[in-house]
Amino acid sequence: MKNGYLSTIVFILALSLIFGSALAGVYAWLKPTIETNNEIAEKRAILEAFALDFSGSTDAIADRFSQSIEETEINGLSVYQLKDETGTVTAYAVPFSGSGLWGTIRGYLAVSGDLEQVVGLTFTEQNETPGLGGRIDEPAFKEQFRSVAIDYEAGFSYGESGSGQLDAITGATSTSNAVLQMLNRLLQETLAGWEVP
Amino acid sequence: MAESIKQVIKRNLWYENQVVRQILGICSSLAVTNLMANSLVMGLGLTFSVALSSFTLSLLRNLIPRRIRMIVQTLVIAAYVILVDLIIKAFLPDISKALGPYVALIITNCIIMGRAEAYAQKNPPLLSMLDGLFAGVGYTAVLLLIALIRETLGFGTIFGYNINWLGMDNWTIMVMAPSAFFIIGVLIWIVSNRQEKKKGR
Repeated sequence: MKNGYLSTIVFILALSLIFGSALAGVYAWLKPTIETNNEIAEKRAILEAFALDFSGSTDAIADRFSQSIEETEINGLSVYQLKDETGTVTAYAVPFSGSGLWGTIRGYLAVSGDLEQVVGLTFTEQNETPGLGGRIDEPAFKEQFRSVAIDYEAGFSYGESGSGQLDAITGATSTSNAVLQMLNRLLQETLAGWEVP
Repeated sequence: MAESIKQVIKRNLWYENQVVRQILGICSSLAVTNLMANSLVMGLGLTFSVALSSFTLSLLRNLIPRRIRMIVQTLVIAAYVILVDLIIKAFLPDISKALGPYVALIITNCIIMGRAEAYAQKNPPLLSMLDGLFAGVGYTAVLLLIALIRETLGFGTIFGYNINWLGMDNWTIMVMAPSAFFIIGVLIWIVSNRQEKKKGR
C-alpha cells in the first residue's frame, strides 16, 4: 500500500497542509513588521525629497513626517505637501514611476510651492545594476537635482561634465536616460497641468 | 558505511565544493557577489535553507513515496526559502532591497535539490543536516572570496568600508556579472589543479 495512489495523495496533501499553515502563521506574525518597514522607507524617501532630516529611528521618522507633511490630491493624483508654520504650502512631493534598464523605478520628485524649481529627488524602488545604474540612489546623483530651475518646455537634460548641469552616471547610460525620461514625462504630463494658488 | 563528521566537512568545503567542484549555484555566484554584505546574507540564507530542508527530507525519507519525491523536495525547500525571505524582509529591509529577487530564487538553486537527491534521501537526519550545513558554508566561502575580489577592485571597499587608500580608479568590469565568470573560472582552475596534483597525476 505504501506506493498506492491513495496513500501518495494523502501524503502530499498532509505535507502541503502542514507546511502551508506553518508559513501562513509566520507570514501573519511578520506581516505588520514588513508593512511598517515599507511605510517607513516611503516616509524616509519623502522626507529626503523635501530636504528634511531623514535619519533616525522608526518613531522619529513617523513623528517628523506627521509634523509638517500631509497627503493631498491634485488633479486626481495623490501627492504629499510640505507646509510651513503659517500653513503655506512650500513644496510638493509627486510620485513617479517608469521602467529602468532591469525593472520598475519608483520615486518622488519634490518641487517648490510655486512649481518653479526642484526641491529634491528620491527613489523608493529600483532594481538597476548595483554599482552602475544602482548609483542613481546615491547622493552624488540625487543631490545634483536640488534647486534646479524647472523648464517646462525643454525638461531636464544632462550636460557636459562640469558645465553645472545635471550629470549622467558613467557606464549607466540606459538607466540615466530612463530616469530623465520619467522625470520629463512627469513635468509635461502632470506638473504642467497644475494650477496652484 | 556512514561518513564521519570530519569527512562530511572536508568533502563539502574542499573536495566536492558546490561552486568550484560541482559547478552548482553559479547563477547566484555571478549575481550577488559584487558586494560582501549581499554575498554573506545570500550565503547564510542558502545555508539555512539547505541544512533545514536536508534535515526535514531525511526525517521523511522512509515515508516519501518514491515517485513523488521531487515534488516533496520542492515543497519542503520552497517552504524554508519563503521563510528566509520573510525574515530578511522583516528584519533586514535594506539587504532585502539589495538582493531583490535572488532570495526567492534560492528555491531553484541546484545545491539544495542536489543535496536532497544525492545525500538526504539515503542518510540519517543529523548527518544530512551537517552535510547541508557545510555544503552551504562551502558555497558561502566561495561567494565571499569572489565578493572580496570584486568589491575591493570595483568599489574600493570591504563590507562598505573604504580601503582605497591609494585612490585607485574603480574597475567598472568588477561591478558587473562577467567579472565573476573570470574569477570563478580561475578559482576552478586553481582548486582542480591542487586536487589533481594531490592525487599524484
